[in-house]
Amino acid sequence: MSSVFAQATTKGPPINWEALSPFIALVVGACVVLLIGLARGAFIRRQVVPVLTLITLGVTAGLGIWQWDTNEAIISGALKVDNLTLALTMIFVAGGIAATFLSWRSIATVEAGEGEYYALMLTSILGMLVLVAANDLVVLFIGFELLSIPLYVLCATHMRREQSLESGLKYLIIGSVGSATLLYGLALLYGAAGGTNYADIAAVGSAMADDVLFLTGIALVMAGLAFKASVAPFHQWTPDVYEGAPTPVTGFMAVATKAAAFGVIIRLFDVALIDATVTWAPAFATLAVITIIVGNVGAIGQSSLKRMLAYSSVAQAGYMIAGVVVTTQLGISAVVFYLAIYVVMNLGAFAVITARERETGLGDDISSLYGLGRDRPLLAWPMTISMLALAGFPVTAGFFGKIYLINAAVDNGYAWLGVAIVIGSAISLAYYLRVVAAVWMREAPATSLTLSARPIMAGGSQEADDEARAAGIEPGADTGRVIADDFAEPSIAVSGPRLSQPEVVFVAIVCSIVTIAFGVYPEPLMDVARDAGAAFSSLL
Amino acid sequence: MSVQTLGWLVLLLPLTGAVLIGLTFKALPQRVHGIIGVAAIGLAFVAAVLMFFGLQDRGEEERQLVSVAWDYANTVGVDAQLAILIDPLSVLMCLVVTGVSTLIHVYSFSYMGGDRGYTRFFAYLNFFVFSMLLLVLAANFFLLIVGWAFVGAASYMLISFWYRRTTATKAGIKAFVINVAGDVGLVLGAYFIFKGTGTLDFLKNFELVGEAFTENQPELVAGCILLLVGAFAKSAQVPFHTWLPDAMEGPTPVSSLIHAATMVTAGVYLIARLHPLFEHAPDAAMVGSVVGCATLLIAATIGLVVTDLKRVIAYSTMSQIGYMIMAVSSAVYAAGMFHLMTHAFFKALLFMAAGSVISAMGGNQDLDKMGGFRKVMPFTFACMVIGGLALSGIPPFSGFFSKDEILAYMVDRGGVYLVMAILGYVGALLTAFYTFRMIFRAFFGEMSPEAEELSHGHLYHAPEPTNPANGEVEDTEVGFPGPEHHIAERAGGMKIAMGGLAVLAIVGGFLQIPGVTSELHHFLEPTFHDSELYETIHPSATAEWIGLLVGAVIGATGIFFAWTIYGKGGNAASFQARFAPIHKVFVNKWYFDEAIDFLIVRPAAWLGRFANSTFERIFVNGALVGGSTGAVRALSAAVRSLQSGYLRYYAALLLIGFSGLGAYFLISA
Repeated sequence: MSSVFAQATTKGPPINWEALSPFIALVVGACVVLLIGLARGAFIRRQVVPVLTLITLGVTAGLGIWQWDTNEAIISGALKVDNLTLALTMIFVAGGIAATFLSWRSIATVEAGEGEYYALMLTSILGMLVLVAANDLVVLFIGFELLSIPLYVLCATHMRREQSLESGLKYLIIGSVGSATLLYGLALLYGAAGGTNYADIAAVGSAMADDVLFLTGIALVMAGLAFKASVAPFHQWTPDVYEGAPTPVTGFMAVATKAAAFGVIIRLFDVALIDATVTWAPAFATLAVITIIVGNVGAIGQSSLKRMLAYSSVAQAGYMIAGVVVTTQLGISAVVFYLAIYVVMNLGAFAVITARERETGLGDDISSLYGLGRDRPLLAWPMTISMLALAGFPVTAGFFGKIYLINAAVDNGYAWLGVAIVIGSAISLAYYLRVVAAVWMREAPATSLTLSARPIMAGGSQEADDEARAAGIEPGADTGRVIADDFAEPSIAVSGPRLSQPEVVFVAIVCSIVTIAFGVYPEPLMDVARDAGAAFSSLL
Repeated sequence: MSVQTLGWLVLLLPLTGAVLIGLTFKALPQRVHGIIGVAAIGLAFVAAVLMFFGLQDRGEEERQLVSVAWDYANTVGVDAQLAILIDPLSVLMCLVVTGVSTLIHVYSFSYMGGDRGYTRFFAYLNFFVFSMLLLVLAANFFLLIVGWAFVGAASYMLISFWYRRTTATKAGIKAFVINVAGDVGLVLGAYFIFKGTGTLDFLKNFELVGEAFTENQPELVAGCILLLVGAFAKSAQVPFHTWLPDAMEGPTPVSSLIHAATMVTAGVYLIARLHPLFEHAPDAAMVGSVVGCATLLIAATIGLVVTDLKRVIAYSTMSQIGYMIMAVSSAVYAAGMFHLMTHAFFKALLFMAAGSVISAMGGNQDLDKMGGFRKVMPFTFACMVIGGLALSGIPPFSGFFSKDEILAYMVDRGGVYLVMAILGYVGALLTAFYTFRMIFRAFFGEMSPEAEELSHGHLYHAPEPTNPANGEVEDTEVGFPGPEHHIAERAGGMKIAMGGLAVLAIVGGFLQIPGVTSELHHFLEPTFHDSELYETIHPSATAEWIGLLVGAVIGATGIFFAWTIYGKGGNAASFQARFAPIHKVFVNKWYFDEAIDFLIVRPAAWLGRFANSTFERIFVNGALVGGSTGAVRALSAAVRSLQSGYLRYYAALLLIGFSGLGAYFLISA
């Protein structure tokens, strides 16, 4: 009987379930979260669902640690589980955990449905995992879409806010253009190589180095992936989408998507296309310089913090490309190190923005930080540390992140790229220090005691808002939700009412502690990054 | 615990203390900060002692340990590591620095009691100790420069501690500027050496210096002389010495710790630490010897006539460090380091005693106004005399063994060094003279009104606090000295610290009794194992004893002269009148300030004005700054104008982007 059955089925490839376990954990977790989210009780939806999300992420991280030092292509070489995949998994998980904490009291989760919200987030992380593990063009594209589609939805979860919907829609449309570009490129690569596996492509790399279709394919793939990593000139969606999306989603997107995009860029370009390095590396290096300039100058003069951080993330992407173009293990470890600290530097800032958004009603405007240094040191310090770290100050992890990137660049003949990074960092001080100045050197506006007032529209109406504020009228105050003297004496300027949101403050503080810790003693994190780089044993 | 761990601990404890005090300045009462400060340094001393024993347990050849925490950079041939070097020399320095610092912290705990800046003071003081230890433990030029600069910064903060006093801030700025000039020398010197050997690490440098440079190769000599500039600035050697007397504007514990016992000896340490380089560049070493010798004489002559109590001791410090610089530059390492150690003891003690007298005077430091404190301040007087005898080289006090050992070794080396040794003996005569001139004037003679008041049981406090240097009226709030003064007779902490140092000043010399003990020489051997001169210059015990006795006789003569002129029945005024022209030169400090003002400050100021009015305005502000900010602003506007918010434009740019990429690939193929 059994033999008959065996003959009747097609024989699938052998599967290494252990190496696959982090993927499975995410799938199972997403399903469970989605189902539990259907429950009626508010307690279950508001508390149990995020806890389950955290458990899922924790299990994923645990399985990743358990599988550390695996180096195997599983399921007929479709997925590659190695230290790069696993290190990036930790980064996704860290981003996911922080986003879960930040979303805990967010209106977005209620409006979208908690189950759906968190399940989408887990699915997106699964997509990232598939993307960075992809060892095959088809799997790459599946991962790419699995990562993107949930994010399109998540951006729009603040359904009653026009900007959130706008952000989701814009992301969807322009993202589709990006996906199409990528897919076209993948098709051309397949056409040139006659196979979809990275090994097939690598095998023909040197023979096809002058082939028009192959090179066009590389160009299109590069554009598609650069789009996801917010590399200029494919970055334009970033400020608009970051600004409109709910802040926890923005934070998640900023750190996790970036890590995923760089993961796949490293694997595709440093493995499959390694023989074409002489062709694509100068192009990428040029893009890096453009990105560094555009990101840094674009961030100057932004009064929306999220918009500013969006441009900052563009600039940081430019820095990280330096680690990719050198095609060395040192470069890969430098990128992984930077991605890891990028998570804490950014999430610290996003946590503070989230907290202030809820407290002041000023949205993510820089004025929401006024007076923070005096009244709320527990928020002021994380913001300060995040900004200094992003700017690359010593004693913060950002300093070592930049050092390692520059080191990798200089060591392999890209010294001019190192110079570009330094110049970019110098420009970046203009907008990072502006935030620090807002935190410590500006008094809180005396009339900012609005709670959950209509958020001001960022962008075009900013100047009008500033004028109104100068005249003593608070934008949004006309909605009549001004909280009276319950919170403070009217004569004393206070930077807003205190809300009890310990989980947000917790994220901010943990992030800043980690930032400082790795800024003083970077060695443990660098060891992990080195392990990730060492997975590419064929490189120097 | 391993020796390496202890080394890091020695470094971390003061830093922790400084940070802790700084962060809790609002949360805890100030006495607690004092206790934290004392405890941090005390524990560091314990760790240093354990480190000493750990090192002694190892074999002779294994007593040079490098511990690397991590690499800062290891690229394009630069090996900048966070690494410490633990060997007998650095351990000796750690012991001296932490040991004396502990006592000075205890002293400050009482002495600074009434000051409104108490917490700040301890934070600074701990930071200073950390910086000094970083300098001492650094295993490469990179970290040495960091420690060197930190020490300069800490010194600046502490000299200008009473920051509302204009004289204090001016003195701080002067010290900082001269120290930075030295820092530039140090950095350039390190660069010269690095360029030859290709490494920043000390031990590797010592190995490679023989291959990288020929003896007295100009690059090496230039590098070593630049290093000496750094050493001279930090150690107040001619002509970089003018900041040290002015630095006496700082609180007395600062003078005691920084400007006598530790920081100013950094130059001596530097030369001893880098001895293989200097032995390979004897010309540069000769510069060190000559400058040290000149300094010891010039400073001693100025010390003869200064009327400010603390400045007398400051010039004496300069002079004594001149001895040390001369010694280590002449390859007399063990004796130089020995004198460094004993000097730390007795000079810190002298400063502390001076601080006590100054307190009794209500903050006034003028010797002309003092007198007769012997009876009313017996403990202070005893300490002052012990310190003075040690400084004058009277047996069996510590200075007797150490200073005269330097001179005996110099004599043994012969030649030009013999001449310098004779000049050193002249200096010794002057030393004994000015030391006891100071003691006789402050403690003997008629009682000053302040001493009178103290004899009735009252400590003198000025009705209205003024700056003793220029008579400006002050208040007692933060930024000025506090309202209360403390004298050793009435403050436990001061008594403990001074007592401890007095004992050390008496017995410290027994480490190296010619023919009997030679502890320090043996202890330092692993550091100097690569030096040929370390063992070859070695006078016989008899020769050494003769040298010692000559020194003692000279010291006694100096004291006798001082007694005949300033003691009972002496006539100081007529003596002064007889030597009026020389007196004038000495009082004006050999016109060094004026010469520096004329040769450096004025041309620099002129250049500065020129640069400010033309270069800065047109080139820097206009082209450089204006141009780059203009470019950034224009780019920023361009980027923002592209960000229209319309998807069709975004998509268009995306298309343009990958068309450009595609075009590039096709063209390059």
